[in-house]
Amino acid sequence: MGHTEPLPVSRRPEGPNGAPLLQAENLHRYLGSGETQTHILKGVNLTIDRGEYVSIVGQSGSGKSTLLYLLGGLDRPSMPEEGSRVLIEGQDTSLLDETALASLRNEKVGFVFQFHYLLKEFTAQENVALPMFRAGKLSRKAAMERAAMLLDRLGLSSKCKRRANRLSGGEQQRVAVARALANEPAVLLADEPTGNLDRKNSETVAQIFQELAAGGQTIVFVTHDTHLAERAPRRITMEDGDIVADTRGQPL
Amino acid sequence: MVIFISIRYLLTHVRQTLVCIAGVLISVTMFIAMTSMMQGFTDKFIIETVESSGHIIIHDEPRQSETPILEMHYPDGGVLSLDGPKPRDTIRKIKNPTGLMMQLQQMPGITAAAPVVSGDAICTYGTKTATASIIGIDPKLHLKVTTIGKDVTQGSFDRLETSADGIVMGWGLASVLGAQLDDNITLASPTGGRATAKLVGIFQTGVTPVDYSRAYMLQTSAQTLLDKKNIINEIVLRTNDYTAAREFAVQIESLCGYKTESWQEANANFLKIFRIQQIITYVITGSLMVVAAFGVLNILIMAVLERVNDIAILKSFGLSRNDITRIYVVQGFVIGLIGSSVGLLCGKLLVEVLRKIPIQMEGLVKADGLLMSEHRSDYVAAFVASMVVVMIASVFPARRAAKYDPVEVIRGAH
Repeated sequence: MGHTEPLPVSRRPEGPNGAPLLQAENLHRYLGSGETQTHILKGVNLTIDRGEYVSIVGQSGSGKSTLLYLLGGLDRPSMPEEGSRVLIEGQDTSLLDETALASLRNEKVGFVFQFHYLLKEFTAQENVALPMFRAGKLSRKAAMERAAMLLDRLGLSSKCKRRANRLSGGEQQRVAVARALANEPAVLLADEPTGNLDRKNSETVAQIFQELAAGGQTIVFVTHDTHLAERAPRRITMEDGDIVADTRGQPL
Repeated sequence: MVIFISIRYLLTHVRQTLVCIAGVLISVTMFIAMTSMMQGFTDKFIIETVESSGHIIIHDEPRQSETPILEMHYPDGGVLSLDGPKPRDTIRKIKNPTGLMMQLQQMPGITAAAPVVSGDAICTYGTKTATASIIGIDPKLHLKVTTIGKDVTQGSFDRLETSADGIVMGWGLASVLGAQLDDNITLASPTGGRATAKLVGIFQTGVTPVDYSRAYMLQTSAQTLLDKKNIINEIVLRTNDYTAAREFAVQIESLCGYKTESWQEANANFLKIFRIQQIITYVITGSLMVVAAFGVLNILIMAVLERVNDIAILKSFGLSRNDITRIYVVQGFVIGLIGSSVGLLCGKLLVEVLRKIPIQMEGLVKADGLLMSEHRSDYVAAFVASMVVVMIASVFPARRAAKYDPVEVIRGAH
């Protein structure tokens, strides 16, 4: 990637009362309604601690992405009255209103999606800076400088001023990773981050993840790519809406 | 950040933005031009009528009760009926007009008062005849209560006092008769009075009913002609605020007991027509604004549909529904602000251009060009109305944008 500095990662202290970073308790999620209603998650229990590098694998429809969106507060659990809930650093997402949950996502979660999802009217640098503008902790200038620094670390220093829609697929995905890291999130959640990339770009993204995880960044990603999944020390396998295997290897 | 995103969206879709702005701009421009034109016509009529006739006129009769005498005395009804009552055979006049005028001039707000004797007469010049409303005046006093002196285009009111039997008439009346300055006109009143008067002045107020019917004579000459020797049947008053004439009239009527008509009451029919005209103008220009707002609504809805992915990603990194709503409301606000502001300038420009177009107009009002009258309130109304309409139009797409579920978008449901 052509960078010498290590990738910046969040080294957050322990959460309140030593709570784990992410917790799913008896997690249920239904999609649709009436006769077409589908029970996607069927009482998932899961704990992810700080610094963990976790891959979630499983067949299509097994509930991997749904679990990821729930863990990141992008979606809300069904059946909260049955104790179906997600806690991010001890905060129950079901108890937060829409604005508070949005703020939580802004501060603690960084998302990367399969189809990049950059704002095409904005430059690469602006795309990365937007979450920082939302957080409002840095001045506009400082946010833009940090965005440039992140892009530089991901080998995109020459593409800072380029409109997002004029970048290649691999470049767009790296910009998306930089944006996810903008606010030093507690956890980076990636849904099929290499699913739409060729082998070379997939390898680049995999290396970035590897490097971030090695630096202590908590990463949870969903993938069908067995090579990418095998690089994560902890591998969760899902089937039919529940976790069927949760294996831990040697930490990086 | 919301403003940053909104402005960027507007700037990257310049054509759509300009179409929206143009719609608002045109509607505001038309609002200003049309209201100025309608208002110009109304103002000309009101100002000229008020200034040439006086703000308030005290008549020589009590105000007629709206309740017929029999109904007043027999409120429960009955078989009584009264057909063709003959008016009382008494000479109508204002008693002690000088004393009354002195009393009225003491009232705060009344700046001048003038006695008048008025009546109808038939004017004959050669073979031409026309009916005129003869107003017998004391020129010095009358020119203090009206501005008719400024409307004289030929001759002058001063000549009324230097000529033995002078008459000053509206240009319309003079032209119907075919009379020129210094021509002798024969006058005949319904009571049999006859006189010959020299045309010593011609005035043109621009208000057709006035210019085609009114003629001024010296009070004594008019009294002789109309068979109203030493009679004053009207007192004309001027106030320091013509818009408050109605309130003054009520006060004066209760004081003197004579029917006291403000210019608003005297011209109630015209004012009603102007009001209807004004409402029609507002409906038309308001419709233009609504059409422009639909343009904004349509384009913003398209913008929302095109940017569903953007909405999902913005929500994923922490924007709330309110933030998303604000992004589109700000776009509507900017479109409204630019469209309305430039629309006001274009409206002003159009008013100035229309003002300079030489069009001969002759109807209720005579003028050499389009009568344009600008009021600050119309500019404020145009700006506020267009902003409100555009903001309402932007709220719907904004709320729709805010409702998108990011998870559904990412799953490809939208």
